[in-house]
Amino acid sequence: MKIRYCLPLVLVAVSLAQAADKPEDAAARAVLKEVVPQARVDTVEAAPIPGFRQAIVGSQMVYISNDGQYMLQGTLYDTAARKDLTGARLAVDHKAKVDAVPASKRIVFAPEGKPKYKITVFTDLDCGYCRKLHSQIAQYNKEGIEVDYLFFPRSGINSPSYDKAVSVWCAKDRSGAFTAAKAGKTPTPAKCDNPVADEYKLGQQVGVDGTPTIFAQDGSKIGGYLPPAEMLAKLENLGKATLAGN
Amino acid sequence: MRFVLFLSGLLLALGVSAATPEDTVRQAMSSLAPKVKIDVVQDSAVPGFYEAIVGGEFIYVTKDGKYVIDGNAYDVAHRVDLTASSRARARKDALAKIGPEKRIVFAPLAPLTAKHTVTVFTDVDCPFCRRFHQQIAEYNAKGIEVEYLFYPLSIHPGADKKAEAVWCSSDRPNAFTAAMAGKDPGKATCPNPVGELTELAKSLGIGGTPTVLADDGTQIASQIAMSPDRLAAELDRLAAKNVAQN
Repeated sequence: MKIRYCLPLVLVAVSLAQAADKPEDAAARAVLKEVVPQARVDTVEAAPIPGFRQAIVGSQMVYISNDGQYMLQGTLYDTAARKDLTGARLAVDHKAKVDAVPASKRIVFAPEGKPKYKITVFTDLDCGYCRKLHSQIAQYNKEGIEVDYLFFPRSGINSPSYDKAVSVWCAKDRSGAFTAAKAGKTPTPAKCDNPVADEYKLGQQVGVDGTPTIFAQDGSKIGGYLPPAEMLAKLENLGKATLAGN
Repeated sequence: MRFVLFLSGLLLALGVSAATPEDTVRQAMSSLAPKVKIDVVQDSAVPGFYEAIVGGEFIYVTKDGKYVIDGNAYDVAHRVDLTASSRARARKDALAKIGPEKRIVFAPLAPLTAKHTVTVFTDVDCPFCRRFHQQIAEYNAKGIEVEYLFYPLSIHPGADKKAEAVWCSSDRPNAFTAAMAGKDPGKATCPNPVGELTELAKSLGIGGTPTVLADDGTQIASQIAMSPDRLAAELDRLAAKNVAQN
């Protein structure tokens, strides 16, 4: 019985803490409403820099002074830790959004046995590197990598590539139709309830600007096509790399 | 030896307590990009930050050196793009040091006088630079003096040699106009500013050609700069704005 009473107390504490943050959050939201009135603001929270809030707008991060006077947009680094704090925070956000897509809305190519890694690939049936990637699907699986596809027809909703994606989704043998389409075969036109438009919109929210765009399980954006062995190496080294080339 | 060690330790301690803005920025960048060239360090209009130009790009560094933002800063309250105005000022200062002896000048002929002067980074092998120069009489007729600085891009192999040949010809403006019309300028060599100007352009973050800068260092959007009418109107507007602010 005691537990039942503890719970509301914790909730009160949490809501008080949130209430204490509100004036700065409100100032930040007011700034964004003025600067980017049409943009969707997902998150407003304290930034790592004292005196600043950070907000996720679209798939980008902006930093706003608590008094609402100044805004910085770009990549924030922690110099001592050599860490890209913006990338790390966006990865958390992107992971939550990508993870929210259930397996039933993905086209999954999994290795036999337990996969070592899972990647989520935003794909377009008509893109060259997407096709190249899928032509090697057996090798990715052999390296222990599960490949989950989400559709991102680059030319947009209701484009020919979009219609193909819907037809593949609605085919009786979905993965067979997917693989055939990746090999250049035009899928038999079909229509049904499908997640293609939602996945396209999701892609826009997590900063997909081309295909394939590949996310690791921690939400970090790996980028585009990599051959199977390099993909494996990349996944093994995630989190270690900083500021390549410098 | 001990004494020397003690002394240098003391100096280090002093150095920490009296770190100059340059030291702070260099220290902050040493972990992120140790080889990068740091050109200008100054107080940012954003309280608590230094503004620096590293490798031609603006960054913002917290005064304690803990954080770096690679991006743009805005004064929301006054609706000022702080990075753009700092960049314009840095470019203006740098251009002030480049005398007429390093430029190829096309001034309005008497009785016309120059109302405005633009500095144009140009490349003999760039199509839009050629199109710009085809209209040189019209720019001059609008009262715009055009001062060219050579910036042969590495994507145009041999353009640096052509720039040098133009520079070293006995009739420089005519050789320039001929080269801009596609004529081979030959292979003349002599002491010339092409290399220096190329380095200058890079350090100012100038990414392409033609890049047209107004008197105050403001970069003119290319769709405006390519039209003599629109460029004249834009220069009038900028001049009026600068009078209002000074």
